[in-house]
Amino acid sequence: MNLVHFLWQNHDQIMELTLEHLWLVGISTLLAVFVGIPLGVMSAHWPVWNKPVLGTANIIQTIPSLALFGFLLPVPWLGDRADRLAILALTLYALLPVIRNTYTGIRGVDPAVVEAGRGMGLTDGQLLFQVELPLAVSVILSGIRVAVVVSVGLATIAAAIGAGGLGEFIFRGLAMVNNQLILAGAIPAAVLALSADFGLGWLEKRLRPR
Amino acid sequence: MKRHQQHACRRSFMGQRWTAGCVILLSVLLSSCAPSHSNRIVVGSKNFTESLMLGELLAQQIEAHTTAKVERRFYLAGTYICQQAILAGRIDIYPEYTGTALTAILKQKVGGDRAEVYQRVKSEYEARLGLTLSPPFGFNDTFALEIRGTDARRLSLKTLSQAAAFAPQWRAGFGYEFMERPDGYAGLAAAYGLHFAAPPRIMDLGLLATALKDHQIDIAAGNATDGLIPALDLFVLEDDRHYFPPYEAVAVIRQQAMREHPEVAQAMSELRGKISDQEMQQLNFALDGQHRDVKDVAHEFLRSKGLVR
Amino acid sequence: MGTDSTDGPVIEFRDVAYVLPNGQPLLSGLNLRVQRGETLVLLGRSGSGKTTTLKLINRLLTPRSGNVLVNGASTASSDVIRLRRSIGYVIQEVGLFPHFTVERNIALVPRVEGWTAQRIHQRVEELLQMVGLEPQLGSRYPHQLSGGQRQRVGVARALAADPAILLMDEPFGALDAITRDQLQREFLSLQQRLNKTVVFVTHDLREALRLGSRIALMEAGRMVTVLSPTEFLQSTDPLASAYVQAFGDRLDSVTSRGGS
Repeated sequence: MNLVHFLWQNHDQIMELTLEHLWLVGISTLLAVFVGIPLGVMSAHWPVWNKPVLGTANIIQTIPSLALFGFLLPVPWLGDRADRLAILALTLYALLPVIRNTYTGIRGVDPAVVEAGRGMGLTDGQLLFQVELPLAVSVILSGIRVAVVVSVGLATIAAAIGAGGLGEFIFRGLAMVNNQLILAGAIPAAVLALSADFGLGWLEKRLRPR
Repeated sequence: MKRHQQHACRRSFMGQRWTAGCVILLSVLLSSCAPSHSNRIVVGSKNFTESLMLGELLAQQIEAHTTAKVERRFYLAGTYICQQAILAGRIDIYPEYTGTALTAILKQKVGGDRAEVYQRVKSEYEARLGLTLSPPFGFNDTFALEIRGTDARRLSLKTLSQAAAFAPQWRAGFGYEFMERPDGYAGLAAAYGLHFAAPPRIMDLGLLATALKDHQIDIAAGNATDGLIPALDLFVLEDDRHYFPPYEAVAVIRQQAMREHPEVAQAMSELRGKISDQEMQQLNFALDGQHRDVKDVAHEFLRSKGLVR
Repeated sequence: MGTDSTDGPVIEFRDVAYVLPNGQPLLSGLNLRVQRGETLVLLGRSGSGKTTTLKLINRLLTPRSGNVLVNGASTASSDVIRLRRSIGYVIQEVGLFPHFTVERNIALVPRVEGWTAQRIHQRVEELLQMVGLEPQLGSRYPHQLSGGQRQRVGVARALAADPAILLMDEPFGALDAITRDQLQREFLSLQQRLNKTVVFVTHDLREALRLGSRIALMEAGRMVTVLSPTEFLQSTDPLASAYVQAFGDRLDSVTSRGGS
């Protein structure tokens, strides 16, 4: 049976694994955004945090993903459930692009604008939410886009520790030496990554200056 | 970048609402992605022949006894993966062995006979993990230390204790899981005082039997129900010191799934004691040796036992 | 906002010193009084400390020692946000928010102060007219305006909540000569109407002579002398006369205030 036929025949399972994959990527990206953006803002406003925050995120990125999964396995509560572990690991990997781009975006705001705002009597909070973040949003979104695309790829590896997702097809296919199964996992994963890249890129453009 | 922002964001306010809208949409989408399914039963299996065979048997047995749609998620890469999958609800049932559950999952020490081990695992699973066990299928797939039939006859070896004397002259081949598991090589070597000249070779389970036959290794750790044992004239050494815990084949089932599909309990009880050691060897051989389709073999077997039509 | 009931100076510096975070001193022994309704020009070259002095008034910078008082109250003990909202601030780069329309830029302080939409809209219309901009510019974005138009918006923004005090840091410095001249003239007529207390920073003597009611000459972080324009031109102070010399023949047209 040819590939298209195979994909169609198994479309139920493909859908299910795709949803599992989306769950892993979505939750971890959301967490990375909620943690990373504040950290990025912090590093931009208080340079003393710059090195530790960016430095830590950088170090995490250099750990090979499978190794990170392995490190976290024996941790109580986390290691008990592979999806918790995978979500934590994916979140950690998504942090660097989000933090770094938030930092760059906020630092890139015209200092004259910030000075005028502060001089006119805006509080720090007003400055952040009404001026800095809106002006940095396109850059931040570009960081999120990178995080999502990376996560889609990493989530395929998470299947190796039992977290489910499209990687499961790939590993199964490898064990059974079945190319169609491998592709049934690889193609949707690639499509996912490309659509996320495209979709978020479009959003980025819409929010960017003309 | 700065020039950009000098002329920036004409729609930044719209942009804010857009972003907020997207976040909300995403969150809604995500919550619907969370793994859960109710009108299907998902059958899992590990990635070796016997597990696959049992998985298919379970799947067909359930299909014959319930109206729910049965999905197969076979070839999961090992005990841990299956455990994670069933805990997360991605599969509802998969074939396991009581000894494996005791040591590798519950991380307890071995001890007791078949019935005791079965009980311990069952009550722990029900109390702590939200899982339960089916009645045993009938065979004990314990680890089998295999040697060539010719060697066994020539050296008059029947038990592991006897064979231990020859260990220094032998090369051993073991599967990955056997090397790593607490109930594997480490404990065995201690229990029988085994000392091999060189460290054991780690090989894929499927290749062990042939390697043994071809004199690449002299002793292998396979399974008692290996299909190739009779086919290749291999001899299983007796575990006279009772080192290995019992490995009765059972199905692990999610209690939630049992509640949603009570017919499954009935389907499982019909399988009690239906598969003997020899019968499992033959089933394995049909797949490994004769390369027949697993669906056909499963159907044939169930029919021969009067479980399906 | 800001009805002053005191008769004393609106802004006062008492022996103020300012030191950079790295320890380098920028201002020392600064004493100054700004009276209500006057336009005090801080004149000096780059590095003389005039911008620093300005920023001490709305507490964008904090003095190392000494006291800065606004309306009799020390800035150190005042709520800094309230202080800043009661003072208009115009800078050379203008600093309009690029993602806000002109209207929204002008409405900045009124919005955060919670004015009603009706009141805000009225005020913006009023201000656009006051600074000489057409009403339809309200819905444009800063990048669509010329440099001169942008600074007018900057001034309108500073005046929005009707502060009694206006701080201006070389506001016309980045504009071409013609536009600068125009805006200076408009500033004078606006000041006649509104009678704000203005502290104006510049390095251009002509601008100082034209706009200021008094000129405070600064050099190396110290106040050298404070003179009226006429006094300045006739001053024998070495620095003051050096300035007059330097600007030489370009001073001809600048002799009286209240330009036409």
